[in-house]
Amino acid sequence: MSVRVLFFGATAAAAGKRETYVEVADSSKVAVVTDLVIKHHPNLEGHKLLFSVNQEYAEQDASISDGDELAIFTAVSGG
Amino acid sequence: MDFGELTTDPIDITSVARRVVPPECGATVTLDGYVRKFTSGRETLHLFYEAYEPMALKEMQKLIEQAKNDFEISNVGIVHRLGKLEIGETSVVISVAAPHRKAAFAACEWLIRELKRTVPIWKKEVYADGEVWVDGESEPPAVAGG
Repeated sequence: MSVRVLFFGATAAAAGKRETYVEVADSSKVAVVTDLVIKHHPNLEGHKLLFSVNQEYAEQDASISDGDELAIFTAVSGG
Repeated sequence: MDFGELTTDPIDITSVARRVVPPECGATVTLDGYVRKFTSGRETLHLFYEAYEPMALKEMQKLIEQAKNDFEISNVGIVHRLGKLEIGETSVVISVAAPHRKAAFAACEWLIRELKRTVPIWKKEVYADGEVWVDGESEPPAVAGG
């Protein structure tokens, strides 16, 4: 299945893009997607990363489904 | 009325504060957060804010609901600015209307603390000799139910 992955702020700068698509097995965990994304964008390593699935915070062991929107970002700094 | 919004336009603080006021209230506490010139002794030229907009709006709505549940308050308005901001410009306004001021102060303090921890907005500081995406200081929210 194809998963859309979004980057923001520091992760967009590190990845050099704002989004990417990855192909993973059906019902993969968030960790499978993020490991693949980090492998393809090694500049993301060294950042403490947070994740969301369909605009809700998610842990690495959460499952994702076809068509889900995953985002990878660093600790938020608004205000 | 309650509202959580994002805007690239300058924020009119007075109008945000006025919009939250219902007749039963006696006090509105409004936080005006703005761009600081020096961070850790380094001079900032300007800031740039970026949001994961749909998620930021959802997280702001959650904070408003939680605050109304936990504090004796009537209405909450939150407006966060995005894009390029000059020194001294308002980046965030939080207005809390309540029958009595004490709860409004407490809720406003809680709301800005939680917003800085949970709402997906990021700040880039631009200096004369470079720029840095600022990492948040607080731990991210625990995820309920995985």
